[in-house]
Amino acid sequence: MGATTTAPPAGALPPPPAPAPTPQPGRRGRGRARLARLDSTASPYLYIAPFFLLFIVTGLFPLVYTGWVALHDWDQIMGKGEFVGMENYVDVLTGRGFWKALANTVSIFVLSSVPQIMAALLIAALLDRNLRARTFWRMGVLLPYVVAPVAVALIFNNLFADRFGLINLLLETVGLDPVRWHSDRLASHVAIATMVNFRWTGYNALILLAAMQAIPRDLYEQAAIDGANAWRQFWSVTVPMLRPTIVFVVITSTIGGLQIFDEPKMYDSFGRGGADQQWQTLTIYLYELGWTRADFGMASAVAVLLFGIIVVFGVVNFLLTRRIAHDDGGRR
Amino acid sequence: MRRPGWIVYGLLAAVVLGSMFPLLWSVVVASHDSTVLARDRFPVVPGGNFFRNAATVLDTVPFWRATLNSVIVSTTVSASVVFFSTLAGYAFAKLRFRGSGPLLVFVIATMAVPTQLGVVPLYQVMARLGWTGELTAVIVPGLVTAFGVFWMTQYLAQAVPSELIEAARVDGASMFRTFWHVGIPAARPAASMLFLFTFVATWTNFFWPFIVLGPRNPTLPVALQQLQAAHFVDYSLVLAGAVLATIPLLVLFVLAGRQLVSGIMQGAVKQ
Amino acid sequence: MTRRTSPYLILAAATATSLVLGACGDSSDATDEEAAGSGGEVSLTVATFNEFGYEELLEEYEELNPGVTVEHVKADTADNARAALRNSLGANSGAADIEAMEVDWVTEFKQYPDKFADLSDPEVEGRWLDWKTEAVTLEDGTLMGYGTDIGPEAVCYRADLFEEAGLPTDREEVAELLGESWEDYFAAGREFVATSDAAWYDSAGALWQGMINQVDFVYEDADNNVVATTNPQVRELYDQVLAASVDDELSAGLGQWSSDWSSAFQEDEFATMLCPGWMLGVIEGNAEGVEGWDIANTFPGGGGNWGGSYLTVPAQGDNIEEATKLAAWLTAPEQQLKAFESKGTFPSQVEALGSDTLLGSTNAFFNDAPTGEILAERAEAVTMMPHKGPKYFEINTALQDAITRVDVDGTDDPDSSWDKFVAAVEALG
Repeated sequence: MGATTTAPPAGALPPPPAPAPTPQPGRRGRGRARLARLDSTASPYLYIAPFFLLFIVTGLFPLVYTGWVALHDWDQIMGKGEFVGMENYVDVLTGRGFWKALANTVSIFVLSSVPQIMAALLIAALLDRNLRARTFWRMGVLLPYVVAPVAVALIFNNLFADRFGLINLLLETVGLDPVRWHSDRLASHVAIATMVNFRWTGYNALILLAAMQAIPRDLYEQAAIDGANAWRQFWSVTVPMLRPTIVFVVITSTIGGLQIFDEPKMYDSFGRGGADQQWQTLTIYLYELGWTRADFGMASAVAVLLFGIIVVFGVVNFLLTRRIAHDDGGRR
Repeated sequence: MRRPGWIVYGLLAAVVLGSMFPLLWSVVVASHDSTVLARDRFPVVPGGNFFRNAATVLDTVPFWRATLNSVIVSTTVSASVVFFSTLAGYAFAKLRFRGSGPLLVFVIATMAVPTQLGVVPLYQVMARLGWTGELTAVIVPGLVTAFGVFWMTQYLAQAVPSELIEAARVDGASMFRTFWHVGIPAARPAASMLFLFTFVATWTNFFWPFIVLGPRNPTLPVALQQLQAAHFVDYSLVLAGAVLATIPLLVLFVLAGRQLVSGIMQGAVKQ
Repeated sequence: MTRRTSPYLILAAATATSLVLGACGDSSDATDEEAAGSGGEVSLTVATFNEFGYEELLEEYEELNPGVTVEHVKADTADNARAALRNSLGANSGAADIEAMEVDWVTEFKQYPDKFADLSDPEVEGRWLDWKTEAVTLEDGTLMGYGTDIGPEAVCYRADLFEEAGLPTDREEVAELLGESWEDYFAAGREFVATSDAAWYDSAGALWQGMINQVDFVYEDADNNVVATTNPQVRELYDQVLAASVDDELSAGLGQWSSDWSSAFQEDEFATMLCPGWMLGVIEGNAEGVEGWDIANTFPGGGGNWGGSYLTVPAQGDNIEEATKLAAWLTAPEQQLKAFESKGTFPSQVEALGSDTLLGSTNAFFNDAPTGEILAERAEAVTMMPHKGPKYFEINTALQDAITRVDVDGTDDPDSSWDKFVAAVEALG
């Protein structure tokens, strides 16, 4: 395998401690000074080197090289073929697979971020009260975070099963029709978004809680004097003060959300996103192209396009953040 | 401040119950046989079949191997991330060197880069090295994270008094000695949190291990995927697997949940 | 956080890291060495999927051959096994010493003959049914795999539901009722659903598998040109199966292998199923506790084979000779008969087909039916092997999707779903 030769043992990476300053007669003064100078100029670079080397090799290089693969006929087994220019991109963009997967991805993302942040806000507001057994409640809402998405998916697949699922049973009990969770496109998105929300709502509530606790309490007192009740205080004081944190939460969930794979992959036993691509997301599409159809060229083209989409979403969010942060700065 | 009324507690109890319900439900279903949901659509009482189901799970997928793999991968990756992040964070926060500003900006910028999208070439590299199906293929790309460096930089900037470093240097301590005796002790609280979060993130990671490891040498999430894809879709079995695979992190949660909470509140973002 | 962690702990962790990384390297080096030494210890890996019934056989082989240890890796589904094999061929490492391959994708891998060892050997000539061997023989005579099992198809049925609907329940009478052709089978179904709440069969997709396995050239012609979308036979069968499934409501509308499908075995949702030998175990597993299953010695449209596998030896292995020996041993008639007894995989070996063990075997779950005898007769009725080209697997997946959209999901009508199928086939290039 070659791990021993290629991967440096982690223990060897930190620079060896400089020689102990044992007194050396004669040239000790000058030698030590030079050594110390070298030590202080070189050390910082040695300390940051492992991060940059490893990041460039395992993170940056593959990302950049994806662009190169996308320009070729590239079979998983046969390897690199002819240079085909933009053909892979044309194939991807003219097929319906990509657009449907994009729409699914965005739909699942919206369904999982908007309700999630609303719920997280409310939970944070509850936790922000002067509670007894504070830590218990905080840990209680965080519990889903330690359940792996794959396990979450297994559990929710059972709850959302079309025939014997608990959720359809409850719907029938209250006199509603059962929902076709695996046939109906939007329903499948709701189910998948529910898995995401289950795992992350409590987590985000704690982030928002931290920001809430940083809000000066006299703002509330002022509002109370002005006659605002708790509900009004929440909307006129808490939410505006939290806006930067909310945007931060949105940005981090954008980067992750647009790459969503685990939950839709696990949503049925086939893992292909449905017979009509009902819940096929872009990363599943990428996986299908690369590892089922063995077309690394087209898979790379999808990766590059998804990268571009994430950058666009990120820039929009960044501009938004700046504006909101600015507004805030004025008010404070 | 006034203690809140029972409505607040009631709502919170509902939320906590909602967080626990899926796991409780799994335990109940997993302790019956495959026909429980068809027979009794809302089983409430656990049955006596959990261990039989668990045994079948162990038989169907290489569960022990997957658990061992997850332990090896998560521990190694977390230890490495903590070590390298502390090292780099200390340099960025406390040492003056040419280019430190732009390099730190680079680190922060890479936090937002979806490196996951480099899977195709990364896979090819691993194939070339003959690492596909080997744990090293999962470990090596996880050895460092930009977030870790950023997190330790931020923490160390305020946790280590610069005078302490200067004093150590004046005493003739080498750079590394200073780091070891001043930087590391100060870094400990942040480092242990970084360890926890990296551990959870690595343990629950699925996409890359699924692609590069395959069914023969899986981590736990990959083994769970295999369990579900198996032809005999038996909910009590599948949920028994989900419960078994969650137990290790539940133990971690009981032991270190408090730290996870305060870590998030201090700004550990999701990875 | 008041507990103090020693700096040495971090150092220890880092050392552990290097040890682990080192250990990975060491262990695999060790296996390489073992592999190189030809005389001594040999360790082989065998990769299969679903149920091959090899567990006890491999132990037996280890006992018979001291010094040989065999590791059995089981993939859950054929799909995953296919993906894993593709990956290890692409990476030129990671394949098992023996890799099982399903008939539906064996042609796809015939595109890479260099990646597999030639297993042809005068000793095994004539061991299998001719059509079984032809499917893995290359033009130059290279034999890419040894046949394991085949999937001769019969029809399984719920005698209790038949009785409620006023239909005969006895095996022979049912065989007669089901008739000879697909139209007969559908006609019987219409009669059944008129008086029963249950559907006639589980899934249109399953029927499709039965139908196309009787067609010489379905998706690709003899030169492997893709004709799936222009072949009139494909469209005719497609319309026929969907008309029966949806218009006549003969199908329960369950996607085969979906969780709904599995759970439906516990309810009285459908009365018949197409039954290749390996399906008996699947039904028994899913329908645990349900009484009334039986099996009729007939199949619409004559004989049909669904599935069945081969053992291949990837060329990248270090123990090709030993692996070939094991593969030959596993696929010998005696061993495949034991596999049949253990998991119901029906042997593809001529000698095994006539054996008393096979012909005398009965299945308690299926009302003590003489399954060995019935399936042996069904195997004789199989006269041809459809041509399956390199794109077969992917095109068939796309067509199964098209059927699922109409039969299960109801997102499309047959025409719009067909259009999506055509687009999908075009996208395959």
